Parts: sequence; structure tokens; C-alpha cells
Amino acid sequence: MNRERFDVWLRNIYKTQEEEISCTECFDLVSHFVELEISGENAVAKMPLLKQHLDQCGACREEYQMLLALARFENEGGAPTLDELKDSIR
Amino acid sequence: MFLMTNVRTNAEWLHDLSASGKLQETAIADLRDLLLRAALYFFNRNLDDFGGLNRDEILQRAEDCAQDALIAVMNHLQDFRGDSKFTTWAYKFAINIALMAARRERWKGVSLDEFSFSNEGAFFEWMLQDKSDGIAPDQSALQNEVRETVQDVIENDLTDKQRRVLLMMVFNDVPMDEVVRHFGANRNAIYKLLHDARRKLKSGLQARGFDVGETLALFSSQG
Repeated sequence: MNRERFDVWLRNIYKTQEEEISCTECFDLVSHFVELEISGENAVAKMPLLKQHLDQCGACREEYQMLLALARFENEGGAPTLDELKDSIR
Repeated sequence: MFLMTNVRTNAEWLHDLSASGKLQETAIADLRDLLLRAALYFFNRNLDDFGGLNRDEILQRAEDCAQDALIAVMNHLQDFRGDSKFTTWAYKFAINIALMAARRERWKGVSLDEFSFSNEGAFFEWMLQDKSDGIAPDQSALQNEVRETVQDVIENDLTDKQRRVLLMMVFNDVPMDEVVRHFGANRNAIYKLLHDARRKLKSGLQARGFDVGETLALFSSQG
């Protein structure tokens, strides 16, 4: 683990809370969080526990980032079509 | 085609998917296309995971994910609370399944055991690293103290399972779902092990007088 990653990990250790929500709770809430973000609301202030989980859990964070990107694309009308996506697989 | 499916309201999605006959068939086919799109969207951004597969095989994996996601969505329809667009809610099932499939593909055939012991792999290398390159001696000494504390907690305060999961995920980048699979657990249980490990590390550092600001400044002050 290089310095940069160790630094990030140390930060996460210090941000550890006594109670944190589970991955299941995160999955349940994340679509609402994404919806708030897309509509320009302060999702982090409204759902701090979810944000805390996303900061700590790489798998949930990766899914969240992908969901946000896809939902945002769609909201703006720029999402790739099924055929475009198939064509871009090598 | 996509624009056609996108015009359903949340209420219409729920109504049509719960209907019968042609109405339901059409809604399910539209939903399946959307889920396939989400799976392909994920795959496209993670093609590295599929190094050993050709295009047809990747597309087939995406079809399988869409099918599994469709079943999951239909089984959870009653859980949809309407606090997002229905499609956003549905996509998360496809993305979750696609992520697991992609990581499975990348890690298949890899034995995880070697990543879970402190005398092997990245943790061992980390312990042996030269920790003093180019920084002031007093800062370097303090950094070493922090690292030794972390090492001490990992080796002495964590349970065997907490230590193994931590070494796999934090030091060796084994994906969550592969660790889940290795231990026959679920994400919640693995997350809890890591959470408990972080709590012990945090209190271990604090007990030795390393408060948050001072410690982070020690490591982030360098380029």
C-alpha cells in the first residue's frame, strides 16, 4: 500500500462511527440518494449515514457511481442506446 | 425503442408489470431491455475484467445479468417506495449483479488464501517498505510509530477473521463479493468485520495518543 492509499485508509479509520448502516440498507436507500442528487438537492445533508457507508464501502460506492452516471445520462437524454452499447463491446 | 419505454410513469410501470397478458408481457420486455442496457453500461466501463472472453461471451454474460436482474426486480416490486424514478430503482439491481459477474470473471481461478496471511502478500511488503524516503527524521519517526501501531493492532487486537478480511480487501484489493464468496458470507457480514476492525484501529491509535488531525497531517503533508 503506497502513501497515498495509506493516507486515504487512515482517514477512513478516523471517520469510523460506532454505528454504521449495512450494505443492504445502503442498497435500499441508494436510488433515493441518486434521485436527490440529480434533482440538485443536498443528498449528503439529507442522508449522511448513506454517504458515510459509501465512503467506507468500495463495492457499494462503485455501484452508486455507476447508478448515478446512468441515471444522470438518462435524465439529460444522452444515455447510449442498447445497440450502441453492444457495438462498443470490442 | 428506448424512448418508447422511457415514457412510462412510476405508477404505469407498477401497473403494467403487475397486469396480465399482453400489457405485462410488453412491460417485462421493455424492463428487460433497460436492465440489459444497465448491465452493458457497467461492462463497457469494466472491460478489463473480461480479459479472457470474446465479444459474444461478454454479450451473453450481460444477457444473463439482465435476466437475473429482471427476476430480482419482479420479486422486489412491492419494496419500491416511489422515492426515485422506477428505472433508477430497477437499474441498481442490474448494476449490482453486473458488478458481481465482472469481478467473478476477473478473479475466477485465483486462490484467495495467500492474500489473507500477514506473512505474505501486500501487507508483508508494506511492513518491509522503506518508510523514511526524503522526509524530515522527526516526522519519519512519528510516521513509523503510526504504522507500527497499525501493524500492532492488526496482528494482536483483531480476530483472525477480521484480520484475514482486512488483509484481503484493504491490502490486496480483493473485491468485496469475492471475499463474500470465499467465506460463504454476505456483504453485510463482511462489512461488519471491516467496520469492527476499523473501530479497533481507531481506538488503538487514539489510545496511543494519535489524534485525528495530527496523524492525518503527518501523512498528507507530503507530495
